Amino acid sequence: MINGYAGRILEIDLTTERVEWKPLDEDIARLYIGGKGYGTRLLYDRTEAGIDPLGPDNLLIFATGPLNGSVAPQSNRFAVVCKSPLTGGIGNATCGGSFALGLKKAGVDVVVVRGRAKRPLRLEIDGDASEVNFVDATDLWGKGTYETQAILGKKRYHAVIGPAGENQVLYAGIVSNERIAGRTGVGAVMGSKQLKAVSVWGSRKLDMEDPDKFKAYTKEVRRIFKDHPVLGESMKRFGTGGIVNTTNARNILPTRNFKYGHFDGAMKISGEWIEDHELKGVKTSCIHCPVTCGRDVEVDGKVVKGPEYETLALLGSNLEIGDIKKVSEWNYLADDLGMDTISLGATLGFAMELVETGAIQNADGALRFGDPAGISEMIRDIAHRRGLGNELANGTRRMSEKFGGAAFAPHVKGLELSAYDPRGSFAQGVEYATTNRGGCHVQGASMYLESTGPLTINPQNLKLKADLPIVQQNLACAINSMVLCIFTTYGIVPKAIHAMNPNSWQHKALSLALENSGPVFRWAQSIKGSPMLWFEKWLTYITGQKFSSGHLQEIGGRIFNLERMYNLREGLTGADDTLPDRILYEPTFEHMKSGHPLDQLLPLYYKKRGWDAQGIPTARTLERLKVLH
Amino acid sequence: MATAAPSGARVQVQLTYDMSKALGVERFELDGVTTVADVVRLAQQRFEGGAGSFEELTSRAAVAVNGVLTSHRRGMRTALRDGDTVSFVKAAAGG
Ligand code: SF4
Repeated sequence: MINGYAGRILEIDLTTERVEWKPLDEDIARLYIGGKGYGTRLLYDRTEAGIDPLGPDNLLIFATGPLNGSVAPQSNRFAVVCKSPLTGGIGNATCGGSFALGLKKAGVDVVVVRGRAKRPLRLEIDGDASEVNFVDATDLWGKGTYETQAILGKKRYHAVIGPAGENQVLYAGIVSNERIAGRTGVGAVMGSKQLKAVSVWGSRKLDMEDPDKFKAYTKEVRRIFKDHPVLGESMKRFGTGGIVNTTNARNILPTRNFKYGHFDGAMKISGEWIEDHELKGVKTSCIHCPVTCGRDVEVDGKVVKGPEYETLALLGSNLEIGDIKKVSEWNYLADDLGMDTISLGATLGFAMELVETGAIQNADGALRFGDPAGISEMIRDIAHRRGLGNELANGTRRMSEKFGGAAFAPHVKGLELSAYDPRGSFAQGVEYATTNRGGCHVQGASMYLESTGPLTINPQNLKLKADLPIVQQNLACAINSMVLCIFTTYGIVPKAIHAMNPNSWQHKALSLALENSGPVFRWAQSIKGSPMLWFEKWLTYITGQKFSSGHLQEIGGRIFNLERMYNLREGLTGADDTLPDRILYEPTFEHMKSGHPLDQLLPLYYKKRGWDAQGIPTARTLERLKVLH
Repeated sequence: MATAAPSGARVQVQLTYDMSKALGVERFELDGVTTVADVVRLAQQRFEGGAGSFEELTSRAAVAVNGVLTSHRRGMRTALRDGDTVSFVKAAAGG
């Protein structure tokens, strides 16, 4: 077995309560690393086209990668892969917490769950004994994610759902500690299988090719991280919420259901404000991560996890709510009920606009922009699918099919948009439109090099806007397969760039050089040289295989194209690579005549991807990347 | 932004969090300014006697007019119009 892997896959059929331990397929591991990549390949190979995402034939795959189980910073995340009930295409999400570590300790790389239990169940996986217990979970059904984990105890590692997952809210997530695999409805799939929780434990250690080099280098990386302006400073001090004032100043902070990009009350929902006024006790992190991007706040006298950027924006500015206490309360509620705050906030904003237009009339005075009244109750109603909440539980696309408003329904492929308005971040718009799981930012995060980071290009012309998403999407696919936290990529921009005066001519020259680098930019990333970045070195030291930027671009491109093939198989087409009409046609900047120029950028993107004019990967591209080998 | 009002424009100035903490104000209005350079100069005057050094705070902050960085326009010579919002903006990483 390749070092870094436990070498085992655990297959569980909930219908028959049968279990099988199988060896990990080393060829797939070499081609797709693990995590999201390995999981996607399993889903592609082992499910029929057109299955019901909420039916017993869907697979729910928990997948780790070779970095999991190590002490490398940011390395304890697992991926969940399934067919998405929200989009009908590829579903996946990654999650921090501690469950990934538990799986590796139990000597399991991947858990594949199929079927549907006859009653609420939970799974206990004892890795050392290679035993799986199917335990009745009727007593836990209906309980929140925090209480469920408290009952299950601290000695084991858990992944659980809350009432939102049980009731198959289409954007329900899966929770480990206070972190969530939020996107694409993976929690609804778990709920559809009547699976409340998976608990895992064991005492295995990770086998590494060169543990000494790994140890020494990891020590050095910790020092580099500590000294880095983002990973050691701003994320540590302000969490991800430290970006609120920046996106607001750049006019890309979703406001009033993505109608505007600027919110006057932004400062009071920012990470800096939380640091100064709301922070209680510790800053929290996933296991072994020194970045500690989580922060605790107080809600109803309890110290709980505070909101991060996406939540601050989607449940804050997007609803025109500038009250951090309210946003914190809703964030806690959503986490406890087990649902994605991005889709939740975007759906609430959309519903508010539908109320405003008169398309929804039974909101009982709730769902008004700028008014927190009734929102907590609505969030509970969504999780329990009660009344109007039952409609909101289906997300914006299905709501727009029922109530109208498709032009301002903020989703791509059914997945609600994240909190970076593409009208001020064109590459991010291309990324939203083409990302296989839908309108999400952490499948590339182009906006950092385009609009928010220390060295950005002009985000509103066509230069680099088709290249950047490709490189970023490929890298994110690789990172989500190791499985590492995507925030690690913030470390790639060196300290010296952060130290530059952003108004200097040197800064401008560098920005112009990047903006005009086009093909050179992609070529530079594709060089298969020696490992340079920390995750390339970690992978190399752990597995004994050679990883460099070029290797990761190739593997990431393979994973991305496989996801694409999965989507095409499930009936999605190039027509789904689009943005909401509001984003395409309503300008938010005074110099713009329209919105995002996707019509000009998409053909370029397809061509650079090696896809035909309909967005289908050519046979040559599939062969070059060994996509279905 | 294209043309400046002949007698200077009335604009909103939005500060970064650190600046606003030092000055005790989140945003303020300036009258009679024609370019971004005017705004920077007048904002600096406000800082005199306040907590923190304006130079230090601005060396890490870019300037945007209505969300567009001045480095993508005419830098400090970017002209202003009535109703513009001039924001100081720091680089940040979110999630
Ligand atoms: S940076 Fe934050 S989300 Fe990422 S691993 Fe560390 S604590 Fe977890």
